[in-house]
Amino acid sequence: MSTKGYKTFKGGIHPPYFKELACGKPITPAPLPDEIRIPMSQHVGAPNEPLVSAGDRVEVGQKIGESQAFISAPVHSSVSGTVKSVEEITVFTGAKAKAVIITPDAEQPAFSGSPAKPVGDLTPEDLRKIARDAGLVGMGGAAFPTHVKLTPPKDKPIDTVIINACECEPFLTCDHRTMLERPEDLIEGLLLLMKAVEAKRGIIGIEANKMDAVELMQRKASGKAELSVEILDVKYPEGAEKQLIFALTGRKVPPGKLPSEVGCLVQNVGTAVALYEAATIGKPLYERVVTVTGNGVKTPSNFLVKVGTPVSTLIEAAGGLVEGTEKVIMGGPMTGWAQADLNAPVVKGTSGIVALTAELVDVREEHACVRCGKCVDVCPMFLMPNFIVDAVKKEEWGKAEMWGALDCFECGCCSYTCPAYIPHVEYVRKAKAEISALKK
Amino acid sequence: MAEKKTLKTVSPHLHEEGQTIERAMKDVLIALVPAAIAALIVYGMNVVYIFAVSMITAALSEIVMRKIFKRKVTLGDMSAMVTAVLFAFLLPPTTPLWVVAIGCFISVAIGKELFGGLGKNIFNPALFGRVAIMLSPLWIYTAKFPKPFFWKSVGFFTPISVGIDETVAGRVVYQTLAGNPVNVVTSATPLSLLKSGKMLTNVVTGPTPVGATWVTSSGKPSLGSLFLGTQAGSIGEISILALLIGAIYLLYKRTIDWRIPAGMIGMFFFIMLVTWNHPLYQLFSGGLVLGAFYMATDWTTSPVSKRAKWIYAFGIGLFVALIRLVSPLPEGVAIAILHWNVLTLLLDRYIAEPKFGQVKKSWFNKLPSYAKTAPAQEKS
Repeated sequence: MSTKGYKTFKGGIHPPYFKELACGKPITPAPLPDEIRIPMSQHVGAPNEPLVSAGDRVEVGQKIGESQAFISAPVHSSVSGTVKSVEEITVFTGAKAKAVIITPDAEQPAFSGSPAKPVGDLTPEDLRKIARDAGLVGMGGAAFPTHVKLTPPKDKPIDTVIINACECEPFLTCDHRTMLERPEDLIEGLLLLMKAVEAKRGIIGIEANKMDAVELMQRKASGKAELSVEILDVKYPEGAEKQLIFALTGRKVPPGKLPSEVGCLVQNVGTAVALYEAATIGKPLYERVVTVTGNGVKTPSNFLVKVGTPVSTLIEAAGGLVEGTEKVIMGGPMTGWAQADLNAPVVKGTSGIVALTAELVDVREEHACVRCGKCVDVCPMFLMPNFIVDAVKKEEWGKAEMWGALDCFECGCCSYTCPAYIPHVEYVRKAKAEISALKK
Repeated sequence: MAEKKTLKTVSPHLHEEGQTIERAMKDVLIALVPAAIAALIVYGMNVVYIFAVSMITAALSEIVMRKIFKRKVTLGDMSAMVTAVLFAFLLPPTTPLWVVAIGCFISVAIGKELFGGLGKNIFNPALFGRVAIMLSPLWIYTAKFPKPFFWKSVGFFTPISVGIDETVAGRVVYQTLAGNPVNVVTSATPLSLLKSGKMLTNVVTGPTPVGATWVTSSGKPSLGSLFLGTQAGSIGEISILALLIGAIYLLYKRTIDWRIPAGMIGMFFFIMLVTWNHPLYQLFSGGLVLGAFYMATDWTTSPVSKRAKWIYAFGIGLFVALIRLVSPLPEGVAIAILHWNVLTLLLDRYIAEPKFGQVKKSWFNKLPSYAKTAPAQEKS
């Protein structure tokens, strides 16, 4: 099966994908842990304030954290149970965040809710409110609040909604499984997204290593003239927002601008399905599909996981770690966060848990840049990663910006291909923090 | 199980297999093997002695310099070996071994380590050492080239080197290690023949079929012999065929960027064409092919961005052509590349590469305004 010759972008890399580990495993519910820990900030934007305190009863789907800020998304309890405490915990990034700790009941009731209105009567305004109330965020990893994306500037109408079904990160299969198991829900979710921004066209972009999903989605979308299913080259980062828009529409989002600049809205598979659930049964986003995989887990699996479940519960459910596992990553192996321990809870943006053994872990001491230019060749934003690193080392923040530090979305292609093993992303993050402090 | 120690490093967590400095350097060494074999056939074991001395000197120089500067000794990255072989490639096959050692020391110890080691050097180390010898009193030992297959008269394994003739000032003789003079015919390089003022038309229209003999009726090597390597010249530059085989390997492995040889040779070819010189003859003689694929493409001393690479490549091609056509020197690849090595830093700093989606495309990099108004933030 060819994986090239389809639509794509310039730059990027071809890592090994290892999708076969988990792509054949149906989604099954993950076991319930003894303790659920739900961070109040699981998204880009303002953190929530907890609405409950120790000793309170909570029901599944109940709102437990909220913020008045526009760029924010509320969080909901993923279980029925009793609030044990509200305290600071360490989340997947290694940062501290306030969290509500819940002891779940032994017996969990099924979620019951009702739609605000019949789906056919929903207006764009209703849909934005539903997205916000359900706490929807981008489920591809970045976790940007969905209702913000559904509110484009008045002068920038959106004509195209793109479902990002590339799943270009190696190992992960949660979107693939969702498409195979819930194709109708995805199509309905896409139609709702189009309605919310009054777009005429909907595209589902799928990488060529998921041809079964392509065929299924094409069959389900047939007869709907406004929808199309497009096949994309298997290349990383095909699913990066700007690169995906370019590959599918030929439009280029300028540096520092949002997709609405070129009339596009991109949403992840999981987000579209979650919007469908929120609109039809009033279900907020409190559980998601998580791929637990890698050569470090015994039985790679796709689980339906309640937000707040610790990594250790899922690793155990997947048969445990094999001897010699050196890294456990939350998210994909290209952009995810390596975990020092297995205590961090799954959040709305957690697409996978990847455990790697020594065979796939290649960590070396950083060598001085040899100026080979490979990072420049692979950079999908056409930046100068090596010069950003150089500028950061000299603390020349103006130069770091000149070389494109602010345009970097941290895909990691540069470090992947760097013969000197330079961790560019680490330097870029430092540059971003320093530059934004300078500009204040 | 849950208490197991796991590594906490920054993303990405995967690394491209085989993408290491050692691997790239080994690829360059592999690519140089055909040219080394060609040199062995044409010049005999003499070249092997030179390789050996060069490699040993390079290793020792790196160890000593790294100890002095208290840096980790990184012989394992093979970059010193690449410099050693490339430096040897630039020498006539009869260079005295002690001259080889001095030149190689200059290449590695001064050209590379003094600047801060691999990645920090401004000049291509091998060219740096070669030009240092050329500009020193030792130049006399590297100015004469023996006729191809000279080993047929003195023996394949006999070490032969250039020595000073004490009886006639400025004259050199060929001698054995023990200092006994031997009779080796010196040959002019094709480029010095060209420089001596004879027109090229004989080569183009001469009656000798390509590759039939090593000289045409006019006394110059034929195109075919230049391509295969039966020409007088430095160890590594003679066989265009062997160099191209290695170059294809490096291009296939993506160790070198095709833009640099393409731009350099393209520009050179164009100038030779419009000035009515035989472009292929010019291309096949001297160090142009060696320089274009193995010297100008050096990672550290060539630009990083694509636009800057094209400018750099065109610039070298232009300089080589100008030196060959209008300067008193017969050959100028080394000097042209070293010139543009210096300009590399400027090209990288000022020539802009448009970012993805950038609407206003500029040719020049500009600092953001806050960096200009607050010079205190900029340490440079």
